[in-house]
Amino acid sequence: MVRVDLKKKVDLSVKFCGVRFPNPFVLAAAPPTDKGEMIARGFEAGWGGAVVKTLGLEHVEVNLVSPMMAGLSYEDKNLIGLENIDLISDRDINEALAEVGDLKRDYPDNVVIVSMMAATEAEWQEIARRVQDAGADMIECSFSCPHGMPERGMGSAVGQDADLTFERAKWVVDAVDIPVLIKLTPNVADMRPIAARVKEAGAAGITCINTVKGLIGFDLDTFAPLPSVNEQSTAGGYSGPAIKPIALRFVADVAKDVQIPVAGVGGVVTWKDAVEFLLAGAGIVQVCTTVMRYGYDIVEELNEGLALYLEDKGLTSPMELVGKGLVGLVSHEALSREYKVVSAIDEDLCIGCGACVIACRDGGHQALEFRGEDAGELARVPEVDDEKCIGCGFCVSVCPVNGCMSMAPRED
Amino acid sequence: MAWGWMQGADDMTGYAQKVEELSESGRTYSPHEAVLEASRCLMCDEAPCLDGCPAGVDVRRFVRKIRFGNFRGAARLIREANLLVGICGRVCPQEILCMENCTRGNLDTPIDIAGLQRFAGDIELGTLAPLPVRAEGRGEKVAVLGAGPAGLAAAAELRKLGFGVEIFERADSMGGVLTQGIPPFRLDRRFVESELDYIGRLGADVHLGRDEKDVAALLKSGFDAVVIGVGLYRPYTIGLPGEDLEGVFVAADLLAAVARGEQPDLGKRVVVIGGGNVAIDAAMTAQHLGAERVDLCSLESYDELPAFRSEVEIAQSEGIEFHTQTKPVKIVGTDGKVSGYEGVGIRWKTPGLLVPSNAEEIPGTEFRLAATAVIEAIGQGVLDCYEGVDADERGLIRVDQETMVTSMPGVFAAGDVVSGGATAVQAFAEGKRAATGVAAYLNEAATGDAASTEGGGR
Repeated sequence: MVRVDLKKKVDLSVKFCGVRFPNPFVLAAAPPTDKGEMIARGFEAGWGGAVVKTLGLEHVEVNLVSPMMAGLSYEDKNLIGLENIDLISDRDINEALAEVGDLKRDYPDNVVIVSMMAATEAEWQEIARRVQDAGADMIECSFSCPHGMPERGMGSAVGQDADLTFERAKWVVDAVDIPVLIKLTPNVADMRPIAARVKEAGAAGITCINTVKGLIGFDLDTFAPLPSVNEQSTAGGYSGPAIKPIALRFVADVAKDVQIPVAGVGGVVTWKDAVEFLLAGAGIVQVCTTVMRYGYDIVEELNEGLALYLEDKGLTSPMELVGKGLVGLVSHEALSREYKVVSAIDEDLCIGCGACVIACRDGGHQALEFRGEDAGELARVPEVDDEKCIGCGFCVSVCPVNGCMSMAPRED
Repeated sequence: MAWGWMQGADDMTGYAQKVEELSESGRTYSPHEAVLEASRCLMCDEAPCLDGCPAGVDVRRFVRKIRFGNFRGAARLIREANLLVGICGRVCPQEILCMENCTRGNLDTPIDIAGLQRFAGDIELGTLAPLPVRAEGRGEKVAVLGAGPAGLAAAAELRKLGFGVEIFERADSMGGVLTQGIPPFRLDRRFVESELDYIGRLGADVHLGRDEKDVAALLKSGFDAVVIGVGLYRPYTIGLPGEDLEGVFVAADLLAAVARGEQPDLGKRVVVIGGGNVAIDAAMTAQHLGAERVDLCSLESYDELPAFRSEVEIAQSEGIEFHTQTKPVKIVGTDGKVSGYEGVGIRWKTPGLLVPSNAEEIPGTEFRLAATAVIEAIGQGVLDCYEGVDADERGLIRVDQETMVTSMPGVFAAGDVVSGGATAVQAFAEGKRAATGVAAYLNEAATGDAASTEGGGR
């Protein structure tokens, strides 16, 4: 566990859907939560809670393929995204639920949520009751897995349909007393109408997002899609740092317009990402791909980083951040047209690569040019043509020197 | 340009200038650059870098903290293991310790752990580093002899554990080798000041200019334990003909004088005798003092030089001439002043045994160098003996390596006065270990007393 000595007393614990979490960091339903022994190690490392990998009833056949994962590399980063065609847990539900009881006995302060999936009303209600009886603090219903399950009328096939979502959410809510979270899919144009029906059904909150449906690539020698299961594949669920913007958008949408508690998940790597999810309206933050990549103990950096940040901000609880970023989120129409910025370059920091010149010339409005030989030492420092610069901000994104390019308010 | 020094050394005349530039700007990595470097870390399982640190810093964990943007957490973590983080980041030979073990080196180049540690240490520079959580105050008082790396580490750790500490330092300033030995161009004094200030804030009482030698008397006068960390302050001399000439220096005295701000006149041509870090420091210092040519003569071959490889390479790139595998014959004088140096090539009678008595002269390899000054840097020995404390024939104090306790109960020793001369980081580590030994000793005494009092009361 992390020892943090702080000037002003920061308390990382949060209350979410009526349940107290020792901190807002929760292991998402995925391979890191497939076994009680693994979750126990996660709790030892400092995770506030865990969502047990999705369970189905005994008769549900879980027939896995291999390989089921493939990563996306980009430049020097070897896992900016991960695609999987894994399925729900293939473990025996009785064994898994027995471990839930053990976990609650050994870690009474940590929150155990069980993710589950079923087909009929009777099945949904049966599994929900069994999860409750096992001692779980909360239930998470997966209406969102984008591969495999939808072909059988489950997973995201439910979460893409507001009526199916409402019906099933209500089945579960009616069957149990513990809070129910509904995990929704981002593979929809707008999550809000669906989330509204979840609220109407009486669920305690929404978990969003599940993975983004994607196709990670092809093998250029064999032409086989990836991950290649004997030269064949299928679209899968895409996760990791690459999907964070998609996740933040859905969290903010739901938190702002549906006003229901949200468990945010999707692409969290550092405590800074987690703060963004809180600002977008998430009450807790779930993490999966980063844990798979680096191990449970990265939670130390999430907890300590968040605590020190709160201390710096003069705050005492992560709950003070929840939804704080939503005020500034408005329609495009509502954005100011009076506020104008123009590109600015720090001459001392510029190394003269011209990346911004190319970007502006071919991807912008030809407002940047090298000053040329007459400028002597500053020959390769670009000059901004204020007339041509429309203030798009793209140059800032391509500059390799941190802090060299910025957008300054226009003075005229 | 801010990024200039990151881009290779083409436009640099050398290390000293680089260090000067860095000290002036106070700049190491920017946060952005630090994250980029830390994200190269493979975050290995059972990371081998951990095994390389004498001070027990959890390298993988602090690099991970930087990697995930938890900078202040990184600074805290290092300081928890090593209270003198800022100094260690600058004088520790990481390239032969943690960085040598770095797995990333098998792929391309090791993580710049030294640079990242400096980055983490500097986060606290100029701000008041938070004090460690201290144990409840205890009645016992410990005397620490010497305010160098070993003594300071012991004092800091003892304060952290709640003991009262008084430091007795022979010199009139704190720091020991940090302020009197290592030249300012290799260790920015601001970092030393900041660390000394930190120790001060921990609440240790310091007595400067007080040379306490009678440890038995200290134990009788109210101290419950003593830690000896006085280092090595008797410079060895060779006994060469001509050693009494004007212009002959011993390196330790010269470096101490320069550290005090003096500018001794060495003239234009300086010969340094020795092959260790002090010899390299002396040679570079001679250059700083205006010598146009500096020759360094060592018994050891180039590959056998005991100085850190990085320091040797810097000295070489700075134009210092190496005459390895040679031994001094005499210092030549004119009108009572140094005018030259004579040496002769040697080979080892028994390979690998790097001591003067094993050197065999090679006839016909005699050479002569013009010189205005000669600096002897062949090592330092123990200045004083401590009555009742067992030492070897060189005066080095014998200890139990686990607790650092000496032959006298309640008296502990750490640092060069035990090892005979090692790195500052090893002295830090031993000082810390001695503090743990003291704590165990005093805890045992406390429980023993309590038990006997209890027994007596019944």
